[in-house]
Amino acid sequence: MIAAATSANNKTVLHLDPNPLLRFPLRFPLSPRSLHFPQFPFYPSSTTTLHSIRLPRLHPSTSHPSVLFCADKSIDLILKSGANQYIDFKSIDASFVCDENGRLKNVPDSRAAIFKDKSLGLTEKNQLMRFFKLVQQHLAAESDDNERISEEDLESPFVEFLKKMRLPPKIKSYGLGIVFCDLLLIWCFLGDASFCAGDVIMLDGIILYAIALADYDQDNVEVCEDVLKTKDGIDRLALYNSSVGRFPNALGAFIYPIYGHGELPQAFCRRAAVKGCIHVLRMPVIALLMDKCTGHYKGVRLSSGQDLFSHQLILDPSFIVPLPLASSPPDSLRENLQILGLGDVKRKVARGICITRRSLRPDTSNFLVVYPPRSLYPEQVTSIRALQIGSELAVCPSGMFVLYFSTLCHDATQGKKSLNAAMDSLLTLPESAHPESITIVHSENSAEVKPTLLWKALYIQELNMDQFETISSTPMPDGNLNYNNMLDVALKLFQKIYPHEEVFPETVSPENPEDDNEFGLES
Amino acid sequence: MASRRRMLLKVIILGDSGYVNRKFSNQYKATIGADFLTKEVQFEDRLFTLQIWDTAGQERFQSLGVAFYRGADCCVLVYDVNVMKSFDNLNNWREEFLIQASPSDPENFPFVVLGNKIDVDGGNSRVVSEKKAKAWCASKGNIPYFETSAKEGFNVDAAFQCIAKNALKNEPEEEIYLPDTIDVAGGRQQRSTGCEC
Repeated sequence: MIAAATSANNKTVLHLDPNPLLRFPLRFPLSPRSLHFPQFPFYPSSTTTLHSIRLPRLHPSTSHPSVLFCADKSIDLILKSGANQYIDFKSIDASFVCDENGRLKNVPDSRAAIFKDKSLGLTEKNQLMRFFKLVQQHLAAESDDNERISEEDLESPFVEFLKKMRLPPKIKSYGLGIVFCDLLLIWCFLGDASFCAGDVIMLDGIILYAIALADYDQDNVEVCEDVLKTKDGIDRLALYNSSVGRFPNALGAFIYPIYGHGELPQAFCRRAAVKGCIHVLRMPVIALLMDKCTGHYKGVRLSSGQDLFSHQLILDPSFIVPLPLASSPPDSLRENLQILGLGDVKRKVARGICITRRSLRPDTSNFLVVYPPRSLYPEQVTSIRALQIGSELAVCPSGMFVLYFSTLCHDATQGKKSLNAAMDSLLTLPESAHPESITIVHSENSAEVKPTLLWKALYIQELNMDQFETISSTPMPDGNLNYNNMLDVALKLFQKIYPHEEVFPETVSPENPEDDNEFGLES
Repeated sequence: MASRRRMLLKVIILGDSGYVNRKFSNQYKATIGADFLTKEVQFEDRLFTLQIWDTAGQERFQSLGVAFYRGADCCVLVYDVNVMKSFDNLNNWREEFLIQASPSDPENFPFVVLGNKIDVDGGNSRVVSEKKAKAWCASKGNIPYFETSAKEGFNVDAAFQCIAKNALKNEPEEEIYLPDTIDVAGGRQQRSTGCEC
């Protein structure tokens, strides 16, 4: 993206890559014979081959369960840069959130969907409707309007706000609700008060973890490292809300690129090339050239022996530049890191990939599943997300499904535990590996047989970044479901290198293929 | 929906640097700043839009992404009749295309070969004869061959007619390959967020 933006500003860009493919940092290649793991901050914590399956030639696929909100910043940027000409998207059909009984509940994406949803009780429908209405009023209102949510509330934890908004004591204690149904006002008693309370909490779950996509347990402030403020929660709801229906034929809030996320860097690379960037693949950089006197970056030495000099060097995060002891005082480094919003948080993301032959849901193949904290086991402190993608998105062979899992974690043990719990709840291990368990599953629950796992891999990714002087590192895919953080850092990086340049300035027509009908056009 | 998509044919142009880029046609835009251009072609009472994809210079270091090749309806291989090596490399480009694009029926995938720059130096610097080029095309499953002179626009239209015709031969398969994708650009216009590119 930075290469494309820089080229669009008529700067000379040389893109060097030791790999034979245009790719994402941390691409996860699935090859028929073996798994390759990039060397640097990315290491396999465990790899289990359960079945040897022959995979046909696959396109490089990215390793993390990313989806794009239709109203996402990255979509705006893809449109602004013109990279959308090279990428096709499809809808993610549905989102589910796991309840405390391990059942997957559909996440409603609009007021109409709330109304139609059969799994929601009438009380819940009403609550959700009212809540969405409130959010919409807040977003539509002018800054000093009294329809807006108060500043005090906006600064409070989102979970407190949800409790405040949607759990009037009456409902909680008596199971009584006012429900709109076909424009008739009906008083309705819900006999089982405890059922009601449970489901109301579940409703919080839907909003907090599936729509607002919170990472940490928001009910438990002690273990929650990232308390979602009401303001941010509302922003995320707004993003969700504006994503639904942004594109006429998109089903929900999320879309996914056909052929996977590996398409995005290729699209930006082509965009860069169109603007004059030179790409050289299979060309490792073997050394950095530093000025002896100042210790500043001067250029790079290629494996071909050629020395190249430039003003700036931007590295993908799989390269780590050891800090020279003499130069670059750590203070300025810390400052730079803070500019880039990376602070001092050192986190890890546990990721996993599973391949199955059957969809988890018979009716849909591309969907998102969110396990809120504590939904799988009591000590689970972070949300676990799983994304199932079917073969029509060309990320796996026909008749197969890929499941991407991810969760934030502190260490590999915790991360693996979380992912394995989610995998176990969704999938059955193959018969050859655990012959005794499969029979239990069949006899116990023959109506709802889980898909059998064909292959899986887990790994832990460290989120870190180095940056100094004229050498900058781009961020790596993080624990988030979308690229907003990465994008923000990339944009800041661009602005830092070129403070006076616009990112993807608007250009005149020849860019636009629609204007190119005259074959004789010469630029 | 499908019929609208079918009218648009993706054509990619491959060949050694310098012969593709400065080009097959000086009617063709210079590579830098060019993305793909469209050409309307009428064929059997139907109007088709050829979307012609240039390599944007990414072929210089074999750095074309697989995305470039995907979904191509026709591949045009270009060489310079005055440079033997550009002719010799046609085979590499053809194979590269078949590997990268992995068409479902590689034997019958429509290629077109263009011998370019026949006008240079009044034809005196020519090193690849038409006979030799045609023989190669015949050996690769009768690839249609055209000699063009970009400067005079000679044969360019005939070549495009043929490209359209050949691209259409593969048409029935396209329906399998073209899922209903999200019209992100259309959404942009509707919202008029002012991010026209």
